[in-house]
Amino acid sequence: MSTVEISGVARLRDISEDEFHAAYGADRFTSSVLRSRLQYVVEHMSTAFMREAFSPIIRDWYDFACTISGPAEQDYPMAVVSNSLTPFLGTMADALRNTVVEYGVDRLQPGDVLICNDPYRGGRHVNDVLFIRPVFVDGRIVSFVNMCAHQLDMGGTVPGGFSATKQNVFENGLVIPPMLLWSKDEPVRSTFSLIFDNTRWGALLLPDFKSMLEQLKLGERLILENIARYGLEAYLGTLVYATDTSAERMRDAIALIPDGDYEGSALIDADGTDASVEYRVHVTVRKRGSSVEVDLSGTSAQARTSINAGVLDAKTAVGVALTMMLDPKVPFTSGTWRSIDLVAPPGSLVTALPPDGPTMMFWESSGALIAAIFEALNPVLGERGVGGDYGSTNTHNSHGLRADGTLWTSATQAGGEHGPWGATRHGDGDSYTVLYNLNNLDPATETIEHDSPVVMLRKGHAIDTGGPGTHRGGAANVRDTLWLTDASHWLSPFRTKEPSGVGANGGRPGPNGAMWFFPPRDDGSAPSGLVGFSDEEYAASEPIAGMLNIQTKKLDPQGVYHHFASRPVWKTSPNTVLRAMTNGGGGWGNPFEREPAKVLRDVRDEYVSVEGAARDYGVVVVGDPALDPEGLRVDEHATAALRKGR
Amino acid sequence: MSQDIATSPPLAQDRVPVQGLCPRCGSAALAAYPVFSEGGWFDVVKCQGCLHSVSRERGPLLGALRLLADQI
Repeated sequence: MSTVEISGVARLRDISEDEFHAAYGADRFTSSVLRSRLQYVVEHMSTAFMREAFSPIIRDWYDFACTISGPAEQDYPMAVVSNSLTPFLGTMADALRNTVVEYGVDRLQPGDVLICNDPYRGGRHVNDVLFIRPVFVDGRIVSFVNMCAHQLDMGGTVPGGFSATKQNVFENGLVIPPMLLWSKDEPVRSTFSLIFDNTRWGALLLPDFKSMLEQLKLGERLILENIARYGLEAYLGTLVYATDTSAERMRDAIALIPDGDYEGSALIDADGTDASVEYRVHVTVRKRGSSVEVDLSGTSAQARTSINAGVLDAKTAVGVALTMMLDPKVPFTSGTWRSIDLVAPPGSLVTALPPDGPTMMFWESSGALIAAIFEALNPVLGERGVGGDYGSTNTHNSHGLRADGTLWTSATQAGGEHGPWGATRHGDGDSYTVLYNLNNLDPATETIEHDSPVVMLRKGHAIDTGGPGTHRGGAANVRDTLWLTDASHWLSPFRTKEPSGVGANGGRPGPNGAMWFFPPRDDGSAPSGLVGFSDEEYAASEPIAGMLNIQTKKLDPQGVYHHFASRPVWKTSPNTVLRAMTNGGGGWGNPFEREPAKVLRDVRDEYVSVEGAARDYGVVVVGDPALDPEGLRVDEHATAALRKGR
Repeated sequence: MSQDIATSPPLAQDRVPVQGLCPRCGSAALAAYPVFSEGGWFDVVKCQGCLHSVSRERGPLLGALRLLADQI
């Protein structure tokens, strides 16, 4: 069949036109065009939903995704995905199969919308609801068009839901098994009522549900137009072609790993009960030829509170890690996992089971799995290694009452949700982006301040926090917010004990971050200006989380761990300042081989201090970066001597 | 301030030895266990030397999770 093969599998580029047509029901050109047109479908749906959404986490965070999957006789291949949240996309292939099979594929009718939000059937957490619309041709289901979207509240004990303190699925929120939300385009009132009777913000969810129905109809219409134009055989063949493309590209990427067994791990500091138990995600990556087995044996038993992830999230994390490290251009379809077997002992931190393994903060634990895979593979990938990221969204969730008595809620807007990536062989790590296992937007400051009684005082990078390397890791982000009313806060940083920003190819890790409250002045007024970084200011702070010096309350890797849930709810008075500092990104390559000119630029831009330049890079910078940044220069003679001495 | 901290105990996936030889590499190290991959759960017999799947059968839809509703 083919003259060029990998492990006995024909390569797509090498099969003949006749063979291609027999396999995919169309010629190469048509399949490629059709795949691109389906990509347009999911992006059009996404754009329309984002434009119409009322919920801030949809509108400002892009906390949703759209996919197209094939029918049962093709085993539901997820062929096309939107450019959006990877934790959604990675789970949606299995979630769709599990939801449709349990409901009964033969019971579905044109105009139905099937939903499910159960993390153990479909991954993620209860706020993320999967919406499935079957696409019929001549009475037969030929495809499914799907959306998954975060709902701002799904009930449970914490408004908004983002908390590590919930102890079981009953406290976590409403669980929706596979059931119809629309039947033959008619709303199923009992399902709407089930949701609205259990959520705090049904009025916000209702218009978003209506919008999603319209986007699903849009997707259905565009799919049918493509089928009418290119034929059903070409359409169905293209779904297979799209997943085969991912499978082949991932198979090629896996071949970059030398055969062998590689182990890695990452630590979650604690759960929401107390600081007495740590959780370790352990992974063994076994690679032979073009196959990989990722074994989670050695991973801690599931946590006592809602920091767990489900096995669909673990599978997603494996796909994300291998894609990020080996070939970021692998299309993220269900074919990504064709050469990957996940071995997953049930009931672990990343394969949790109900009712006592709630999954609200799932991406934190599945993110630790990504970090463990980075630790396992970075040593053998050498120059292809990738530095680690900031490791945790350090999520902030709060609510309170305005002066007029109305409720305000701020979710995932004002903690350390965004931060740096690690460096790669291509260059320095970005200093303000999203976790490796997310792909979302950063809410605008103006929006945050409009929606809640808060003032964003500071949002910038912290000096000397990028992991040193030939290419520097991204710098940690420090964010200060001033809260104007009484407030109840839940804070969730999980990776402050061990560096998440691991180094690669000889680079060094970035330091860990922490969180603090700075109280109002004695008369209850707000600080007169920005809260700084002096000893006096930290001495007046109330530490929330992180490894801190017990006397100074400043960052100290050898200090004492402060537990983020030592108070299950952090209650603050008006004019309190919250500071969230993320971890730094990992460096790539020997820092003493970084070009001195780049170190000079970093000193000018206050990514690196004069002292840090000498200590971490062996570069002697002369001058004052605060008062004369353009007058800085490198002392080349002293630099050469310093570097020679190391 | 002292802190007594434990690590939540590790779990492991059992691999049941299976008689036979790997048709690809000839190894006698075959084992049966569940895996999660494209297409969902599979009960596999795999060579522990070269990772060749000697057999691969569709596993339970939800893996280790069992629904009470299935007992209705």
